[in-house]
Amino acid sequence: MSESAKTDPSIWDVVIVGAGVVGAAIARRLSRLDLNFAVVEKHWDVGEGASCRNSGVLHSGIYYAPNSLRSKLCMAGRELFEDWCHELGVPVRTPGKLVVAQDPRELPKLDVLERQGEANGVSGLRRLSGSEIEDLQPGIKAVAALHVPSAGIVTPYAATIAFAEDAAIHGVRFFLGRELQWATVEHGIFRLGTSQGEMRSRWLINAAGVHSDAVARNLDPDVPTVYPCRGEYLVLDKTAGERLKMLVYPVPPTREGGLGIHVSPTVEGNVLAGPSAEYGFEAEDHACTEFVGERLIREARAYWPGIVQEQVIGAYAGVRAKLSPPEVGGARDFHIRESKRARGLVNLIGLESPALTAAPAIAELVVDEMIGARERLEPKEEGVLPSYRWPPRFDDLPEDEKRRRVEQTADHGEIVCRCEGVTRYEVLRALKNPLGVKTLAGLKYRTRLTMGRCGGSYCLPRIVSILQEECGWNPEQFVLKDAQSPLFAGWVKG
Amino acid sequence: MGEGLIMSEHPKDVVVIGGGPAGLAAAAGAQEEGARVLLIERNEELGGILNQCIHDGFGLYSFGEALTGPEFAARYIERVCTGNAEIMLNTLVTSLNEKLEMVYSRRGERRFVRGRSVVLAMGCRERTRGMIRIPGDRGAGVYTAGTAQYLINEANIMVGRNVVILGSGDVGLIMARRLTWEGANVIAVLEKLPYHCGLTRNVKQCLEDYSIPLYLSHTVSRIHGRGRVEAVTVTRVDRDGRSIPGAEFSLECDTLLCSVGLIPENELSRKAGVVLDARTGGAVVGADLMTEIPGLFSCGNVLHIHDVADLAAIEGEQAGRNAARYAAGGNARIPSEEMALVKAGRGVRYVMPQRAPIRGEGLRCLFRVSEPGADRSITVLAGKEKILEKGGRKVHPAEMIHVDIPRYRIADGESLEVRVE
Amino acid sequence: MSRITTDTCILCPNGCELEIHWVKGETGVRVMEVIGHRCPRGVEYGTEEVVAPKRTVTTTLRVIGGIRPLVSVRTASPIPKKKIADCLAELRQTTVQAPVCRGDKILENTARSGVAVVATRSVACRSEVRCNR
Repeated sequence: MSESAKTDPSIWDVVIVGAGVVGAAIARRLSRLDLNFAVVEKHWDVGEGASCRNSGVLHSGIYYAPNSLRSKLCMAGRELFEDWCHELGVPVRTPGKLVVAQDPRELPKLDVLERQGEANGVSGLRRLSGSEIEDLQPGIKAVAALHVPSAGIVTPYAATIAFAEDAAIHGVRFFLGRELQWATVEHGIFRLGTSQGEMRSRWLINAAGVHSDAVARNLDPDVPTVYPCRGEYLVLDKTAGERLKMLVYPVPPTREGGLGIHVSPTVEGNVLAGPSAEYGFEAEDHACTEFVGERLIREARAYWPGIVQEQVIGAYAGVRAKLSPPEVGGARDFHIRESKRARGLVNLIGLESPALTAAPAIAELVVDEMIGARERLEPKEEGVLPSYRWPPRFDDLPEDEKRRRVEQTADHGEIVCRCEGVTRYEVLRALKNPLGVKTLAGLKYRTRLTMGRCGGSYCLPRIVSILQEECGWNPEQFVLKDAQSPLFAGWVKG
Repeated sequence: MGEGLIMSEHPKDVVVIGGGPAGLAAAAGAQEEGARVLLIERNEELGGILNQCIHDGFGLYSFGEALTGPEFAARYIERVCTGNAEIMLNTLVTSLNEKLEMVYSRRGERRFVRGRSVVLAMGCRERTRGMIRIPGDRGAGVYTAGTAQYLINEANIMVGRNVVILGSGDVGLIMARRLTWEGANVIAVLEKLPYHCGLTRNVKQCLEDYSIPLYLSHTVSRIHGRGRVEAVTVTRVDRDGRSIPGAEFSLECDTLLCSVGLIPENELSRKAGVVLDARTGGAVVGADLMTEIPGLFSCGNVLHIHDVADLAAIEGEQAGRNAARYAAGGNARIPSEEMALVKAGRGVRYVMPQRAPIRGEGLRCLFRVSEPGADRSITVLAGKEKILEKGGRKVHPAEMIHVDIPRYRIADGESLEVRVE
Repeated sequence: MSRITTDTCILCPNGCELEIHWVKGETGVRVMEVIGHRCPRGVEYGTEEVVAPKRTVTTTLRVIGGIRPLVSVRTASPIPKKKIADCLAELRQTTVQAPVCRGDKILENTARSGVAVVATRSVACRSEVRCNR
């Protein structure tokens, strides 16, 4: 779960606040350098904010004004993200995207996207007609489409966890379950008051996502305001995923502030429909609503008539850290700047889409250019380099390889999650993760347990028995995410 | 099937997938017909769902006794174990194809096996909160009723202390009493239809005996509690299930149990190419319970959701015997020209079997009505001719009804139809 | 004074709607007539429901040293409804040692009802635990 409550007395070179995908990417980049640094994260695992609540799309750069920070970092990130994932073993796919116009009046917007994409250097853009769309992706209703072959997908929580666990293996200290409560600066050193004692550091990287403006205001009143903007999603069964091979987006609505309700296949074979965009909710209000749920199906059905209510197996929501207020809508550029008031404070504010794609490029910007401008960045002398791989899923292996592994390791023969094919071996391995996370959500994101169509009916009893056998747990020790989410209420019979 | 696969010995006569009531009875029946049977069960003991159904009421049809689930299972387990059926426990069948080849997985072993005939008896799973899209937060404390039943009755784990139950099906009603008996406070049972879905006797024994309120035409419109459930918003709904505005109230609780329907677990069947009936969720079968794939039979909850385990077992035994005969070379497929459709007519939600021979004697049809009613007439038509009529019946969607058609004959292109008016 | 109670018989899935006509006299409740049953057991049930209602109690007991933590049990026959709470309280305090066999009598007489409590399932010993039987 979290580190011990003891306060580290020395001064950290760098403290990162927030272990979302951006914080984790920065940690990964830093972890190869000879510096002393830590990540502080208030949740009991990484990536619990927007990082695990998005569509996992790797954008190619058609949506952003050329020469904006977003567009530059997205373009650089698109390639770098794949490199990082390749090094770590996190699967990335490139199914491509169709941005569809359902009405001839939308064609000028397709033109704009095409031109913007070309200006940003996106390759392979093509305009398609009705029959050409049908050849690429059957079942779509559209008058024309823009084909973006380089659009990719990744499992966002896998990438976030992999970046963080890789950083942890390479010596980054992750203080999970530790909340930053106040911060001051004295003689150029930051004093950080956390829920588990004080820390001091020379650099403070504020990657606190939807709370980044509040964190920054401890030290600098001149930071932009974050307007939380919630987006809901529906998760569709893998049978829907069998029929959707590409990302399909509508032409983006002008004012709304999102890219429109799209349908995207996931790496595991499900389909996501969403996200919506609603202002006015609290930063961590991840509730889903009836109204938006209906709307998601309705709008997706407009261009993908094959979508069926019975295929919905779940819903979730994420909250974007938007810099543009509700009356303006749209999206502003990333705010990634060193504070003028507090030297050494780097604020990353307003990192909504495409921050996932851009994360590795953001990490290089913050570390190599910003920190690197004033620090000597020496590679760490690591001796024998520890290696980290995001393990390939047993269920994805070919049948003969499965058989071989089962014969070698009996625990691979015991299938704990029937919907996702997760084996006992995988569960035990996930329990030994480098971050020490022992929550059900932590196990879920590392293995896919409970994420299948049966919602955990098959696997929950098995996980309970495994954790009792392997860790001697009592019912009270099973939590979904943290102490506020206990799963059970004790034994039935003492 | 994939390279490098090792076949586990010579093909069996009959492979039964699932060791619950239907599968046990199928294995017993097949074995008694002289077949070599392999019974594959994913849990560590036989009995399936019966093991967690510690309440009584099983066996009334078959044995004239009110047995608990485990006692009922024991009757069939004994029958199976007196023969030489091979039983594999802790073993999951991961795939099946139209050649009746299966891959199974267990500790240390992943092999394939083939049967001359196969009986699908995998049972069902529960509809989840995610599938019915109950809005609100996604904190801990939302469980399906069956999962809660397992945790309480087998794992000795209490799911919560202040419970609201959504759905008045039998599982939900039984759990209301079970939780009360284990010291929990069951606040209410909510049912979105204007009538209860479980057996009337369960409403009495499980709710009325304990003064647990049953709110008909009500549902949960929102769950509150980001960490753990704290409350649910309850709304009144109209006939179409739509919330009536202004008719909301809140119930504080720490647990929501969803008992909102069972879904036949046909993932294996689907991958094998079995034709499924959207109305039952199970395979399309003939009177012999064989699916459209030769030698592949289906029975129990995976075929259609039963309310009485006795009938699931009886169906399982029938499937097992037919599977044994098929494996022995008899009971050949009836060509499709000689099969007619069995239709669900007015007032009927679904009929089993979906296909029957055009000429037959002693066909039993099982069906469910769409709406409850008193004093209804059940009619069976062969083509346009009424061949059976029974009046004055009280009917309810929660109770499966059977009619036995003594002798019939259908002309070319016509079908059998069951109506309730 | 004559009273009528309507009730649903719980003895089999037919769930016959009964009308039980009864009077309360000096010696207690006396049933005059039962209407609506489809079999003679319904008359018995209707009468009993008004005079002295009974229920079968099914629950679990803690097992020590078994392959599973609980064994399911039942009262061998229905006990008076008003004794259910006492029966459950008694069983909550009861543990059994593995192995348990289906049909084993756990308690001779629960809550002074004269009815025994029996195991409805078998629970074998955990292999590392030595069994006494």
